[in-house]
Order: sequence, then structure tokens, then C-alpha cells
Amino acid sequence: MKAKTRGFGTVYLSLFFVFLYLPVLSVVLYSFNASRSTAQWTGWTLDWYRQLFSDRAIVEAFRVSIVVALLTALLSAVLGTFAAVISLWVTSRMKTAIQGMMILPLIVPEVALGVSLLFFFNAMRLPFGVLTLVLSHSLFCVPYVYIMVRLRLQEIDRSILESALDLGASTWQMVRTIILPLVAPSIVTAALLCLAMSLDDVIISTYMSGPRSTTLPVHVFSMMRVGVTPKVNALCTLILIGTFFIIGLSQLITNKRRFAK
Amino acid sequence: MSTWKRNLLAAPVLLWIGLLVGVPMVLVVALSFLSRDNLGNIVYQFTLDNYRRVLDPIYLRVFWNSLLLALLTGVITLLIGYPVAYISANLPPRRRALALGLIMLPFWISSLLRTYGWMILLGNTGLINNLLLALGIVDRRVPMMYKFGTSLVGTAYMLLPFMVVAVFNSVDKLDRSLLEASYDLGASRRQTFFHITIPLTLPGIVGGFTLVFIPALGLYFVSDLLGGGNTVFLGNLIHTMATRGRNRPLAAAFSLGMVALALLVLSLYWKVSKDKSGEALFQ
Repeated sequence: MKAKTRGFGTVYLSLFFVFLYLPVLSVVLYSFNASRSTAQWTGWTLDWYRQLFSDRAIVEAFRVSIVVALLTALLSAVLGTFAAVISLWVTSRMKTAIQGMMILPLIVPEVALGVSLLFFFNAMRLPFGVLTLVLSHSLFCVPYVYIMVRLRLQEIDRSILESALDLGASTWQMVRTIILPLVAPSIVTAALLCLAMSLDDVIISTYMSGPRSTTLPVHVFSMMRVGVTPKVNALCTLILIGTFFIIGLSQLITNKRRFAK
Repeated sequence: MSTWKRNLLAAPVLLWIGLLVGVPMVLVVALSFLSRDNLGNIVYQFTLDNYRRVLDPIYLRVFWNSLLLALLTGVITLLIGYPVAYISANLPPRRRALALGLIMLPFWISSLLRTYGWMILLGNTGLINNLLLALGIVDRRVPMMYKFGTSLVGTAYMLLPFMVVAVFNSVDKLDRSLLEASYDLGASRRQTFFHITIPLTLPGIVGGFTLVFIPALGLYFVSDLLGGGNTVFLGNLIHTMATRGRNRPLAAAFSLGMVALALLVLSLYWKVSKDKSGEALFQ
């Protein structure tokens, strides 16, 4: 009986993972198809990749995306860490308030956030571009940094901090020499997550992009609306490889931390 | 005075959230009571017209489409995801870590790519049609794209990992001794599952449902690419009105409608999970 249920479990899980990864694998596979249509397989080619690099619009959108993602990750890492660390000092009511505010951007539907920011930046006469993109992306990135850093802070032994103060360290010295080094791995992991989320965002970015500052996902979305072309497959595959590179980095950092313990 | 000073530390955080969420949201509420002229410029005159239009049967239909899509997405991801979470959480450690890794990986994969994958699978010249033809199951290509069901498949597929992770966490916390006590007292596997396991993992179920329901209301790029605009959802409508349609007041009213739907589900979550801040949702 038990072996039977376990067998069922394995089969079910395997089927689930096939379902989960089949769409992804088909995109990768068809990026190498010599034929323009998915109707038939006419042999292997790298032509679609070659075409990508000569497409100015794609290269430009990619550049904007990278700049926005790096700035977003930086801003979010600073602001998220700041919010988590100062929570050690503010009153408990303020701490709860910060907690609630950090959840807010995550529970308001992204479309509503995007529309409200569109109206707001419009009213402020702020030009749409890198600045508006970074500010809006920080909304869904800062909370994750805050949550991850706070979880790490909870693990820190309070007595270490108290003894630092007893030994005459100023608060700022304590933050700089004890707290920040201890939470650093969490900050880096969270920042990499921000990088990935910013690079992937479609919904808010459609509202925030300026005439000459379209992000890669917004551009890819407009390409996809035309239909299936192998060029899009090739582009998606490259993005996938880029993301795996980021995950690899974050795994490396997490493992290092585990060994260091 | 000193507590006041300490709280002053939070000023940058308050400023950030106030400027990027608070003020814009107030603006949306204000806009929803204004009207516009033929060029799309805002006319500063109080009106309830936008809300009257939201309640127009044509637009109520859009609400209904979105609600149905989000509800069905919640139910489908639960039915597929619960067993996945339950089985994975009970695996031996190494295989469990592998399963969890494979479940989480899609969070990192571009959501456009994952939607596009379904265009390749379901298209008229797509892989599934190729396979069906080659096997002789059908003699003509079956149209599968641009239907309500296509949007549903794409949305559910996109959000499935959220559900699995939420349920996984609560199955993980399940006290196994309670299950054994239930068996010892003569309950069948089925009885134990429905009377012990389900109620105890309810916070995970409701949490997963919330995490899936809210984004499902607004994943307009999925319904745009897979549904082809044949069924109009709130996300698509708001997007069109705010940009090309140039009817910002109406877009504002619809956005608030979407927020109201999200709050409805959240209040259910708060009631069941007793997680006041809602933070547990995102850990």
C-alpha cells in the first residue's frame, strides 16, 4: 500500500514538472529551428541569434533594462536594509507601521499601482524614463530586501550587540562593524532577486517607459503581440541564460555563507 | 521626546512609501470623481459618472470575466498544486530539496517567456497540433488559441508556483503526530486527510489563494498574448483606457474596483490566517 502511494507520488510529481518546464523548453528548442514557422523542424541554425545583435532597438532596450535593474537593485538594497535595521530602534508601534507599509505595494494589484504612478508622475511633470522606472521598480523590490534582512536580523544573538555597546562602541560603529557584515549575504541575495524582478517586470514598466527608454520586457511584449517568430525565441533563450547566471551567483553566495557558519 | 527622535529614523521609509503609494492612490481616488473632455484632458468638476459607467452591464461583464478568471485560477492552482506540495514536503531530504528547487525555479524565469511557451505549444502550427496531426488523432489543426480557456491556462500556469510554495510551507509545519493519533484512533486515510490535514493546512491554502488571486486580476499581458483580446479583462481595459483610450478618470474608477476585489480576498485571508500584517504571505 505504502509503496503504491509512493509510486503514484513520483509519477504525479514527474508529470507536474514536465508540465512546468515543457513551455520553457519548447521556447529554447525552437530558437534553433531553421524554419520560420513552428509547423515543421527543418534543421539547426544560429541565424536568429545573429539577427538579434544587429537589431538596434533590442540592443538599446537591453541597455535601458540593465541600467534600470542595477539602479533599482542598489536603491532597494539601501532602502530595504535601512528600513530593517532602524526597526531595531524605533518604537514597536512604528515598527508595526513599517511592516504594514512594506506589505502595501505587494498586495495592491500591480495594474492599479502602475496606473496611479502614471497619473502621479504625469502630474509632477516628471519625464518618463530611467528615473520613473527605477522609482516604480523599487516599490516591489524594497519590501523583499526588507523582509530578507529582517529575517536575518532575527537570527542575530542580541547579546553580541549589547556587549558591543558595553565595550564602548557607538551605535553607528555597532551597525557598521557588526550588523552590516552579518546581514551582508542576505542583502546581496535580495539585491540579486531585485535585479531579476526588475529585468522581468512587464506590467508597471509598460506605464513607466518613455518614448526613448523602453525596457527589454516591454519591447519583447510588443514583439510577441505580432506572433511567434524564432527571433523572439532566441531573445528569450538569451534572457533565460542571463537569469540562470544570476541564480548561479546567488546560490554561490548562499552556499559560501553556509560553509562559513 | 527621545522616542519621537528615534521614530524620526523612519522618515525616509515613510517618505518613500507616502510619495510612491500614498499620494498616487489619493490621486486615483480624486481622479475617479472627475470627468474629461473630448481630447482626454481632465475636467475639474465633481461627477459620479465614472462609477455609474462601472456599473453599466457591459463593464460589469468585464468585472465578472476578471473575477471568474481569478477564482478559477485559484481553484485550478489549488487542485494541481496541493498534491504537489503535499508529496514534495513528505519526500526524503535530498529529493525534497530538489523538488523544492524545481518548484521555485520558475519564479526566476521570465514571465513573458513562460507565456510565449504556451503560444508555441497551443498555436495553430504549434507543437500540440503537430503532435496530434502526426499521431493521426485529428485530421485538421484544432484552434486552441485566443479563448477564455487559453488565458486561464496561461494565468494558472504563471501563478502555480506561488500556490505550491504557500501550501508546502503549511504542510511542512503540520504536526505528524496528529496524523498518527488519527490513524491510531481508527480513522481511515481519507477521513484523516479531510478532517485533520485539510483544516490544519487551511492557512496555507488561503494564503496561496490570496497570492494567486490578486495577480490573476491584472496579468494583462497573459490574456493579451494568449486570449488575443477576445475576452476583455479588467487589466486590459484599464491599460487601454489609461494609455490609448485617454480616459484617465474611468481608468481610475476601474483601478479602484480592482483594488476592492483584492481587498475582499485579503480580508478573507486576514480572517482565516490571523496573520495581521500579511507578511507571512511573502516569506
